Amino acid sequence: MSSDLAVRAEGIAKSFRLFNHPRDRLKQIFAGSRRKYYQEFWALNDVSFEVARGETVGIIGRNGSGKSTLLQIVCGTLKPSAGHVETHGRIAAMLELGAGFSPEFSGRENIFLNGYIVGLTQQQIEARYEAICAFADIGDFIEQPIKTYSTGMAVRLAFAVMAHVDADILVIDEALAVGDARFVQKCMRFLREFKERGTLLFVSHDTTAVANLCDRVVWLDGGRLKASGPAKQVCDMYLENLFESVQGASRGAAPAAAPAAALTSAAPSRDQRLDILQASPYRNDVEIFEFHREAASFGRRGARILDVRFEHPHGERLAWAVGGETVVVAIDIEALEPLASPIVGFLVRDRLGQNVFGDNTYLTSQASPLALAEGDSASARFEFDLPLLPPGDYSIAVAVADGRQDDHVQHEWIHDALTFRVETSSVRHSLVGLPMRAIRFERVAGAAAATRTPGLADTTR
Amino acid sequence: MNATSQPKQPLAVFASFWNHRTLILNLARRDVVGRYSGSMLGLLWSFFNPLLMLGVYTFVFGLVFKTRWNPGGSDNMLEFAVVLFSGLLVFGIFSENINRAPGLMLQNPGFIKRVVFPLEGLPWVVMCSSLFHAAISLVVLAAVMLVVMGSLPATWPLILVVLLPLLLFVIGFSWALAALGVYLRDLQQTINIVTAVLMFMSPIFYPASAVPKEFRWAIDWNPMTFFVEQARQVLVWGHPPDFAGLAGMTVGGFVVAWLGLAFFQHARDGFADVI
Repeated sequence: MSSDLAVRAEGIAKSFRLFNHPRDRLKQIFAGSRRKYYQEFWALNDVSFEVARGETVGIIGRNGSGKSTLLQIVCGTLKPSAGHVETHGRIAAMLELGAGFSPEFSGRENIFLNGYIVGLTQQQIEARYEAICAFADIGDFIEQPIKTYSTGMAVRLAFAVMAHVDADILVIDEALAVGDARFVQKCMRFLREFKERGTLLFVSHDTTAVANLCDRVVWLDGGRLKASGPAKQVCDMYLENLFESVQGASRGAAPAAAPAAALTSAAPSRDQRLDILQASPYRNDVEIFEFHREAASFGRRGARILDVRFEHPHGERLAWAVGGETVVVAIDIEALEPLASPIVGFLVRDRLGQNVFGDNTYLTSQASPLALAEGDSASARFEFDLPLLPPGDYSIAVAVADGRQDDHVQHEWIHDALTFRVETSSVRHSLVGLPMRAIRFERVAGAAAATRTPGLADTTR
Repeated sequence: MNATSQPKQPLAVFASFWNHRTLILNLARRDVVGRYSGSMLGLLWSFFNPLLMLGVYTFVFGLVFKTRWNPGGSDNMLEFAVVLFSGLLVFGIFSENINRAPGLMLQNPGFIKRVVFPLEGLPWVVMCSSLFHAAISLVVLAAVMLVVMGSLPATWPLILVVLLPLLLFVIGFSWALAALGVYLRDLQQTINIVTAVLMFMSPIFYPASAVPKEFRWAIDWNPMTFFVEQARQVLVWGHPPDFAGLAGMTVGGFVVAWLGLAFFQHARDGFADVI
């Protein structure tokens, strides 16, 4: 009731009724509670939260935890089955991709249409039209029907419209997942600026973005409110939970991997560096996911890979790394038959499958091969300075073979054994960036007038 | 969350238009212009269409069949065409709205799932678009009658009084059909047949007096009979309309519109779940 609240949700529940036939749904409307023509699925259950005016609140949770449903209810496109929502102020929403666009209409017509929908007058929209086009930056496509747009273009336009309707409350659902990095940066800049004057509800499973942007976080799990509180704290809890459940799941799913589980069940690495996450927007943060034993693999199976992980040089397992710092890729293997001269290697690939870098133990152990008897375990550790990587998803393929570099038997090769995601980066136009020792850029004394060569850079390595 | 959530009030029928008039009128304009988008003559087609139809009716019924509306009446070969045209004009408002209503929600899933859209305005969009076409047809009809007959009946402006109750009936049924169409996908096909039958079961191509006595009930039962005949009274024959009947129809039409809107608003809660 208080006018200091932008959103108040109380006891929200949403059950989706699964009908076998559309006409059953109509029958249900008129039958009321006398008969049930459906099966129920509860997407949300007793969720209550408040968002104060001017607050930025993130909603996190796994796929299917009810985040999007909750947002739809807040926006009023879905009716809750129980509970109620109060909102104060004009809401602009980006639910799913493409917002409320009509595919047959041109970009221009859709701008006006969306303006009318949120209640702007024609004059108000005309006044904003140029700014919207400039923000969307899709050029002459603005006169083309939306159906000819790429997904990225539609999102740009949708975001541009939403950014210019003078909303009091912005609701954004995973909208920034598409769109190129430059546009995402533009959106983030806008959102940071918007935070100063409006209320923002932000859904993502990208905890980095959430922790970066939000004051407070609501964590949904299986349709229920699991926790709500300061962003960093809740994000930490969420990550920890995600981490544990992934480990637990892989243990349960692969009973054959029981001995391996004993090896890998070392305490989940709590990443202390999360605490300083917020520092620079260009820091090369790398989020590392768990070893995926079940990933596609091939080989003679004379050996198996027990675990693949990133480690700190001191030995703790890492869930987070920063480009430029020293890390260790550790690969544990077990011989299932005698191996005369095993080789262990890894290969880092980007999302397009390009091999970025990699190495193996061949040269190191060439002189004195590490022969393994059946049942022996071994561990390979590659210590290196993590290069700076452009944002995106990467995977590491690992393999254990027996023989020589150019003549060997592949015992096990796991394609995407480990994946990691680079969140932000200063690297844009190359496959990798190297951590520079030093970069200098200075005027050469006396030479400037003579040569008139501007900005000659002297880069020292 | 304001006026839309109170369909119980009779005035909601008008509020549903007034509150979103800019949006509705713009969508209607888009609907009218969009129909001819890509064609070279564009909007001119909405003039040529009725004009050409009027010409064809005159040729076929006036010259070829030599049909006369009233046996022993005037010998003007344009008369039958004008009578037919005015009947079709009125029926056209009815059929365009009713035929499009069941598919209205299904064609705009984005408006239902992704934004808070005044869905109850969509039938108004079709209504405005159909009224625009009717208005053009009326202009064409007036022009032709002026040229050929030299004058218009003084009762012409009363067509507005005839159309008002019709609009209320039509918008009411549109709301009901638009809501039902979401749940019953077969409605779309069914309704096309129903309007085609109704067209031939109303005195558009023949005077009601030509129908044998024992089948007159079928014609009289059709509400469109009343509107077609009243429109002809004021547009063609120059007789004053049945004011008492129109007043009754206006009240009835208002009740239908109100119930239709109430039904629509009740059923819309489930739209997002179905589409």
